[in-house]
Amino acid sequence: MFSLALKNILFYKNRSIATIVLTFISAMLFVAYVSLMDGSHKSMLENSLKIYTGAIEIYKKGYRDIGGNEYLIDDVEEISKKLLKIDGIEIFSARYETYGLLSNKEQSAASMVGGVEPDKERVLSSLSLALIEGEFLKENSKNSIYMGVELAKKLKLHVGDEVAFIGSASDNSFAADIFKVCGIFKTGLFEFDSTASFVSKNYFDKLMNSKNRASYITIKVKNLDDVQKVNSEIIKVLNRDDLESLTWKTLMDTMVEAMEVDSIFGYISLSLFLVVIFFVVMIYGFVNVSSRIKEFGILRCIGLSKSKIFLLLFYEISMLSTLAIIIVAPIASYICYHYSINPIIIDGIADMYKDYGIVSDEIPFDFNMFTILRNLAVIYLLNFLSIFYPYMYINSFKPIEASKHV
Amino acid sequence: MIKLQHVNKYFYKNEAREIHALCDINLTIEDGEFTLFSGASGCGKTTLLNVIGALDTIDSGKIFFDEKEISLLSEDARTTLRLNEIGFVFQAYNLIPVLSVEENIGFVMKLRGFSDKEIKKRVLEISAMLEIDDKLKSLPNALSGGQQQRVAVARAVAAKPKIILADEPTANLDSKNSQKLMNMMRELNEKEGVSILFASHDELILNSVRRVVKLNDGVIVDD
Repeated sequence: MFSLALKNILFYKNRSIATIVLTFISAMLFVAYVSLMDGSHKSMLENSLKIYTGAIEIYKKGYRDIGGNEYLIDDVEEISKKLLKIDGIEIFSARYETYGLLSNKEQSAASMVGGVEPDKERVLSSLSLALIEGEFLKENSKNSIYMGVELAKKLKLHVGDEVAFIGSASDNSFAADIFKVCGIFKTGLFEFDSTASFVSKNYFDKLMNSKNRASYITIKVKNLDDVQKVNSEIIKVLNRDDLESLTWKTLMDTMVEAMEVDSIFGYISLSLFLVVIFFVVMIYGFVNVSSRIKEFGILRCIGLSKSKIFLLLFYEISMLSTLAIIIVAPIASYICYHYSINPIIIDGIADMYKDYGIVSDEIPFDFNMFTILRNLAVIYLLNFLSIFYPYMYINSFKPIEASKHV
Repeated sequence: MIKLQHVNKYFYKNEAREIHALCDINLTIEDGEFTLFSGASGCGKTTLLNVIGALDTIDSGKIFFDEKEISLLSEDARTTLRLNEIGFVFQAYNLIPVLSVEENIGFVMKLRGFSDKEIKKRVLEISAMLEIDDKLKSLPNALSGGQQQRVAVARAVAAKPKIILADEPTANLDSKNSQKLMNMMRELNEKEGVSILFASHDELILNSVRRVVKLNDGVIVDD
């Protein structure tokens, strides 16, 4: 049967080429669609993680739900010693965050003021890279403030301008100082750029009387795919009931939910796409088989069983699909790889979707060989499924009727 | 031996246009016979050939192939019977276009599990007898009608079936090729001992066969 199937393929060249082209186009579109969807999600996530949120953050239990000075981490140094022993961690840093009022001569604005370790922050986040004016904080900066572009606009501040800060210190006393704007950043995340500002933690600890306490410790992992494994290790090593170690999935639950909803719509679209592919391939297969009813009838008359007829169709679709997949696999992989490095640019998309964490007009593809091969396997499987109806159709004819079919 | 007892076959049964294609047919065909079913178009000769060849079912009666009652067989069992016991020659040749002459002749043998060596030997033997041994590598579409029909006969006889059923084998051939084909089939009948049943109204076949079964409106009127 294999030999007959091969001869059929070679003899009916146009039919074979059309099947290969159809499979090629279906597979290419499917792989590209999934790669684009996964790539845009990954990009949203990576952008947000890069900007400020860590892959893992350690909090004192209660800080995220209730907040306040009672829930600050007191023993940052002790925890740091333990974190240094964990292999999957690239870098970590303590942050002290508070909300206060920033005022110039004319107006005031509420701001989340973060005390950060500038040298570590350069590696941990892209805060320093988001600089658009002035300079980033230095380790020994005193009363220098690095603020979001929208906040600076609101307060009409420029680099070198002074701004008054009033807030509540960690001992609940009154804290106030005059900050000097050292730099202005723009991340593209509108909310963040409108409310966030940063100062050196060394300086801030003194101002807030926080004595090296921290709101939380943020951690960058060596490989984002290992985040769950590293988090489990952290929980095990710290072995503390009063602390909680959370991954980005929990920390960015709003964004994760948005991505999940987007994925659901994506998969609905994909399902429709697959149904369309299935029917196109099946209808084409049906038309092909319909034109071969006489041929199958003759084979049945001279003694070819129904199972052998199925085997013949199976071999034919196997060979054509395999050939199409062999051709499409390297091309689709290259396209995904190419656009993962050189993303597609859609002008204005970042502005349109700034509330959803899209900070760039670049939409990269995701290059993941497993996903590509899995999607090619789906198309391969659909091709097989598509022969069942045509097979049942030819079996509905008696052999003698089929052999006389015109 | 093939035996038909009170065989009835209807088309469009229980419909206004019902046709009683075979009416109470009783017939015995001994091994090695060279027989023609003749009659006007629509008399039931092709239908008779089809039910004997397990290509079609009957509505009542019994058909025995040797001792086996084939009217009771399942579709799969009928397919196996056709493969192992019966060879077919069709009016339109019905060769497999993608296979060479050699492969077409050996196709049924291959399905039956003969070795490549046995197939090759038999193909050479039959093709020489039917004078198509110089065309073994050609595809069917490169052959004339007469040559294609000889390939069809070779395919039917190659696996040494007990019986060959030939439905209007000369209908698409000129008189010269028809005569040649009939001579060859008679030779096969004599040399190979294979029974050959024809359905035809060709005078040439009528004059070549030893037994003629004449049908009219599904009834045997002369034997």
